[in-house]
Amino acid sequence: MTGQRSRQGNGAASAATAPDGAGRASGPGRLLIAVYGVFALAATARAGFQIATKFGEAPLAYLLSAVAAVVYIVATVSLARPGARAYRISVIAVTTELVGVVAVGLLSVFDAQAFPSETVWSAFGRGYGFVPLILPVLGLLWLRRNQPGRSPRDGRS
Amino acid sequence: MDPFLLVGVIVCAVSAALCLGAGVLRRPPNDITILSIAAVELFLVAYAVGAVIRQLAGEPVLGEAWEFWGYLLTALLVPVGAFWWAILEKTRWSNFVLAAAGVTVFVMLFRMEQIWDGVAGL
Repeated sequence: MTGQRSRQGNGAASAATAPDGAGRASGPGRLLIAVYGVFALAATARAGFQIATKFGEAPLAYLLSAVAAVVYIVATVSLARPGARAYRISVIAVTTELVGVVAVGLLSVFDAQAFPSETVWSAFGRGYGFVPLILPVLGLLWLRRNQPGRSPRDGRS
Repeated sequence: MDPFLLVGVIVCAVSAALCLGAGVLRRPPNDITILSIAAVELFLVAYAVGAVIRQLAGEPVLGEAWEFWGYLLTALLVPVGAFWWAILEKTRWSNFVLAAAGVTVFVMLFRMEQIWDGVAGL
C-alpha cells in the first residue's frame, strides 16, 4: 500500500526521470555525487597514506580519517543508487558526516594534541576550503527535497 | 613558478570558468565545455610525460615519489570520470560537474608541486 503510494508520489516529484527515488542522482544531485566522489577518493587516499606511513603518530586522528573515508564512500554510492533503502543509507551517511565534521572540528580546535596533523575534518575542513562542512548540509537539504513518496515542498526549478 | 604548473593552473582555471559560466547560463554541455575538459586531460598527459623526463634526467621528486605518482594517476582519471558522469545526463548540471573536475585538478596540481619540491607532508 504505502509502497505504491510512494512510487506514485515520487514519479510526480522528480521530473519523471525514473521510478523510486532515482531523481536523487539527477540534476543538482549529479554535482553533489561528483563532489562526494572526489572527497571519497581524497579521504581514502589520505587515510591510506597516513595509516601506512605514520599511524603511530596520531592513531585517533588517522582512524577518524579512515572513518571519514568510509562515510564518504557510503554516501557517494547510496546517493547514486535509486530506491528507498539507498535513500535511508544516504541519510544516515550524510548525517554521520555532518556530526563527524562538527565533532572533529571542535576536537581539533580544543584538543589540538590529539590532532597534530590535518585530517579531512580537522578545523571543520579548513584544509579543503570548508567544503566538508558545507557538503553534508547541502546533502541533507537535497535528500529532504527528494524524499521517496513525498512531493517536494518547494518546486523551484 | 614552475612553467608546467603555470600552464596547468591557467588551463584548469579557464576550463572551470567556462564550464561554470555555461552552467550558470543554463546550457547543457557543448563543444566548448567538453573541449575545455579535454584540454585539462591533455595537459595532464603532457605533465605526466614531463614528470617522467624530469625524474629520469636527474631532477627527481623530493617528497614521497609514490605519493606524487599516486596523485598524478588519480588526477589523470578525474577529467575522464567527470566527462563520463556528466555526459550520462545532458543538463546544465553536467557543466557544473565538469567545472568541479577542473577545480579538483587545479588543487591537485598544487599538491603535486608541493610534493615534487618536498614542501609540507600530508
